[in-house]
Amino acid sequence: MSGRRIPDGGRIDRNRPVRFSFDGRSYSGFAGDTLASALLANGVTLFGRSFKYHRPRGVLAAGIDEPNALVTVLRGTKREANIPATQLEIYDGLVTESQNRFPSLGFDLGAVNQLGAPLISAGFYYKTFMGPVIGPLKGTRFWMFCEWFIRRAAGLGRADHEPDTSRYERMNAFCDVLVVGSGPAGMAAARAAAGTGKRVILTELDPVPGGSANLSGETIGGKPAVDWAADEAAELAALPNVRLLTRTHVWGYYDGNTLAALERLGDHVSSQHAGEARHRHWVIRAGTVVLATGAFERPIVFQGNDRPGVMLAGAARRYTAEFGVLPGRRVAVFTNNDSAYQAAAQLRAAGAEIAAIVDTRLSISPAARDLAQKAGGELLLGHAVSATGGRGALSGITVQQVDASGGVSGEKTNIAVDCLVVSGGWSPAIHLASQAGQKPKWDEDLQAFLPPEPAQKWLGAGAFLGAATTAEALRGGRAAGLKAAGAMASRAALEKVDAPELDPHPAPVFEIRADGGKAFVDHQLDVTADDVRLAHREGFMSVEHLKRYTTLGMATDQGKTSNVPGLAIMAAARGISIPEAGTTRFRPPFAPVSLGSLAAERFGELKPDRLTPMHDWHIERGAQMMPAGLWHRPQIYGFPGETLEQTYVREAAAVRESVGIVDVSTLGKIAVQGPDAAEFLDRVYTNMFSTLAVGKARYGLMLREDGLILDDGTTWRLGETEFLMTTTTAAAGKVMQHLECLLDVRWPDMRVSLTSVTDEWAGAAIAGPNARKVLERAVKGTAVDNDTLPFMGIVRGEIDGAPVMICRLSFSGELAYEVYCGAGHGTHVWEALMAAGEPFGILPYGMEALGTLRIEKGHVTGAEIDGRVTARDLYLDRMLSKKKPFVGSAMMDREGLADENRIRLVGIVSLDRQPLGGGAHIVEKNSRDEPNDSIGHITAVCYSPALSKYIGLALVKGGKARHGQRAFTADPLRGRYGPVEIVSHHFFDPDGSRMHG
Amino acid sequence: MVERESPLGAAYTPGRHGVADKPGAQISEPRPGSIVEIVAWPGSEKAALAAIKGATGLTLPDRPGGGASKAGKSAFGFAPGRWLVIDQAEGLGPALRAAVDSETGTVTDLSHGRTAIRIEGVRAEWVLSKFFAIDFSVEAFPVGEGRSTAHHDIFTQIQRTGDDRFDVYVFRSFARAFWTSLCHASEEVGYEVS
Amino acid sequence: MRIPCPYCGPRDVGEFTYQGDATVTRPDPASTDQDGWNRYVYDRANPAGKHSEVWQHSGGCRAHLIVERDTLTHAVGAVRYARGSATKAAARPAAKAAAKKTSPRKPATRAKAGK
Repeated sequence: MSGRRIPDGGRIDRNRPVRFSFDGRSYSGFAGDTLASALLANGVTLFGRSFKYHRPRGVLAAGIDEPNALVTVLRGTKREANIPATQLEIYDGLVTESQNRFPSLGFDLGAVNQLGAPLISAGFYYKTFMGPVIGPLKGTRFWMFCEWFIRRAAGLGRADHEPDTSRYERMNAFCDVLVVGSGPAGMAAARAAAGTGKRVILTELDPVPGGSANLSGETIGGKPAVDWAADEAAELAALPNVRLLTRTHVWGYYDGNTLAALERLGDHVSSQHAGEARHRHWVIRAGTVVLATGAFERPIVFQGNDRPGVMLAGAARRYTAEFGVLPGRRVAVFTNNDSAYQAAAQLRAAGAEIAAIVDTRLSISPAARDLAQKAGGELLLGHAVSATGGRGALSGITVQQVDASGGVSGEKTNIAVDCLVVSGGWSPAIHLASQAGQKPKWDEDLQAFLPPEPAQKWLGAGAFLGAATTAEALRGGRAAGLKAAGAMASRAALEKVDAPELDPHPAPVFEIRADGGKAFVDHQLDVTADDVRLAHREGFMSVEHLKRYTTLGMATDQGKTSNVPGLAIMAAARGISIPEAGTTRFRPPFAPVSLGSLAAERFGELKPDRLTPMHDWHIERGAQMMPAGLWHRPQIYGFPGETLEQTYVREAAAVRESVGIVDVSTLGKIAVQGPDAAEFLDRVYTNMFSTLAVGKARYGLMLREDGLILDDGTTWRLGETEFLMTTTTAAAGKVMQHLECLLDVRWPDMRVSLTSVTDEWAGAAIAGPNARKVLERAVKGTAVDNDTLPFMGIVRGEIDGAPVMICRLSFSGELAYEVYCGAGHGTHVWEALMAAGEPFGILPYGMEALGTLRIEKGHVTGAEIDGRVTARDLYLDRMLSKKKPFVGSAMMDREGLADENRIRLVGIVSLDRQPLGGGAHIVEKNSRDEPNDSIGHITAVCYSPALSKYIGLALVKGGKARHGQRAFTADPLRGRYGPVEIVSHHFFDPDGSRMHG
Repeated sequence: MVERESPLGAAYTPGRHGVADKPGAQISEPRPGSIVEIVAWPGSEKAALAAIKGATGLTLPDRPGGGASKAGKSAFGFAPGRWLVIDQAEGLGPALRAAVDSETGTVTDLSHGRTAIRIEGVRAEWVLSKFFAIDFSVEAFPVGEGRSTAHHDIFTQIQRTGDDRFDVYVFRSFARAFWTSLCHASEEVGYEVS
Repeated sequence: MRIPCPYCGPRDVGEFTYQGDATVTRPDPASTDQDGWNRYVYDRANPAGKHSEVWQHSGGCRAHLIVERDTLTHAVGAVRYARGSATKAAARPAAKAAAKKTSPRKPATRAKAGK
């Protein structure tokens, strides 16, 4: 170590050394260190290269506001980029690397970008790559050419392509009071609210609660503030009605006082237990929120202000007080306000030499003067730092006289320092309040935006409201906590705070203007003060334009250090005040959020899969499963070495020749019951159901209010007031909602109940010329002959001891039955049917064969009922009752829907004996090269074993009128072109004799 | 009588799991013989409650989510004019069907269609909070009451049958997925499947 | 956004499904007035501010609710059952007549059900 470590103090544990590496070099730190503090302790000041110009960059801040020191963390083959070194807690074996440098951080070829700086100023992308192509080096094509190079040269960290195996989880929480931030204000608020017995959640983004108490050096209630904070936190955490969440940042404030927070459980340890999440995404519904989020310190913009060694004054205090690390040996202070004097005194007390205190103001408060005296060093009032020097790291500063507007003049004094700490005033962290409400308000005295009026239920406290002292924070915190808990205000005395009485008001100086080099506003995206002025000259003056034109305030830090200085420079350029220039509205997230946490429990084995009762049987029989919405359904039951087509053709042929069985448990099933059930069905179906006899089923068609088809299916009348409706698998949920809405909103006085019974029943369809023989062998308690069980008839019986309900219906053109039993008996009944079918060679078949059989029969499903077709388009006119109005009846006859030349259902046959492709266009001319008007598209395809041809269903302009015509399929995506014949969609059993036999 | 197959299949793994020394949650499949839904027409709610009392002996408070549970029988309201009635024994469906005529409401047997999953233990609230956006504290969700909610696409009815015990009713087809997720989410607190 | 369901209490908006504008009226089913149907199916005012909407608590009790909501602030005001409010509306004489028209083919049981 380079001796930057102070012998004692801070939250680090000097008895627990930690080994870690940065850019391949091994270093040592202590438990409790961040990567930033540990590297600083090791004398490392260069952390990365900048975004555009590849300038060397150090660490500017000490927390979540850090714009520069972004690193990539490596865990095994996983890379996680753009982690602020200031937020990264070290652990044994931590491996990190710097970003945006080649070949190495110390020697970076990209730094030549600085020489071409005028070419890549603000608006570079827009000017170069947008607009018409008017030359080889302009426009979108040029962008496509350049992108690869630019992406490599500019940018932040690089992600890997490995799947993320970490565990993430979501947690729902409810509380009366949510306190965001555990500094003195938040702690006091939580304490007060907890005392009323209300449920309190207190969040802290750092590992240690306490906020400013951990670095202030003040005393609270006679104790060092850091000890006070630790004691308070311990007491709060022990209360049963308080949940204290550390390493948790609240990042989103949403409607209904719902807040999102990310708890980082695994980023600071080398390994976790198997069941622990890496990140936990909290969704907190709070009665009232107390925002005690503190304030971010602002830098001052001046030439060379990005040189490693230049640091925010508050950050220097944190490194010294919290981590026991001196950021420099010989330090200068540059400020426009009193707060930096505390940094000077603290750094001096910790052993640093204060070379000078440079203050833009001409006079300062007595308390600041006392602190300056304690700190030692020259006090230069009315002065500013106009430049910095050093190769890589800072070696000195240039100081000149400054006027109230930031203009420098007079003699230049050079001062040798290895660290410059800067304070440009404080900006309350109003992000969450701004997300939750209106535009913030500018405070002239504090030179800062204060939170807007609450549009939701929140209160503020502490530096968030502009409070400058700890005493004010404690007072405001307690008041907010009590009010949030609905309790009376308290007049009891508060803990006494010993702190210097500093002037809270900064001088309104944001930029030191001097000729020469670059002065950075946004360090992360390399936006300079000149870029802001360029945006102004080019007309991008509104804050929203400024942001997009220069990228000021974008990326991972979202301009926490740069927004106000950038705005001030634009306001000055426009000759208006800062509030007139306005500010952008903050949006979630306040700080980066892992995508894994947002996707928690929604992927991989935790997807909400739906399985049929016979699922395991299918898997055991080697079924290849396919998704159907959330359901898993057998696609084929293949033999080794078979192609998919060979399998389904074999399966479909077996049905046509003898008998097959398919799992239809996924069909949507709705119990429609009540005295008005029959009337209800008459209203929602296009055809009549009140005339249906008990014990019979009927095929029904449902329209939407606009007259297009919603869904189809059979509905069974099980009793006078009891129906079982079936829907297609895909539309089950949609149909249920459609019906519930009609009952609740349109016909509230109908006495009908709807209950989803999809899962109550296992369904097996048995189809083929031997289907009845299989049932005869399997079913007890009822006959299944043609008289007892005619087409669309229903019987109840028993199969191997399990009660069943059998309906004779068919979508394949074969004699077919659907056998329903209790889902828990599904496999039992299925196996009994398989056994009964054995003499007939019964074969289970999958979705491909099912599709093949229905295509051959010309029966439509969801592929054709795509939300754009009418009943007439599918030649289902006979289903449209003229005896009654029904949903959709009034709008289905509109001119455009009745047009004969709409795309309508046809069959197609491949004439070149090659497979057809679903979704392919049908065209009239066979040309790959010429544009060719589509006359329709193919909805479903198969190889038909019954016809020994590749066939399909299609929706084609004119429909039936084109039967017998030749056309072509055009499928540019798959490169498939070829002749087809348009035919009737009834390929098989057109007269229904097999089905009714 | 043919035994009903559990939908959990190989996902049901009895024994201790997860990391903790002492399991924070016990997870089981109670496999009740009867799960029945009752719907009452507006104005007939009292008649439905009387039918439930007749069939189960349970007196339900007439308020949203009102429920009760005792001796292997449970019932709770989960929607306006709707109750779920559960009996460890089979045969509740026909009994209620006889007690509720079509002028009162309807009865739907869901004994196969819904799967009961029980989670109990000191960390049951914590684990369930990972799935459902409802307040599981006993003040907000008293013992006996029922709630309707959803985890992604999994519609769920939950009854609190004890301070630390919840019976979760899901559609049978989702039962294995939900069970798997529940076990996964319980790993950090340690769990025991029985 | 949170919607206070009259049955389930306040719940996240994710449990609800938007089911359309609550201010439209379904024409008499037998009506062939295309303008009336057009207004019912397509015409929407899209107000900036207070609006009356139908939401279904699809991830909860599945009741349809009439939600008064401000489309600018997302503030949710009064919430009531669609079914209850419509039933009450139907109890008023004028509305009752209209309700009768909407079901020209009442089965015998309906007459009894009406009371």
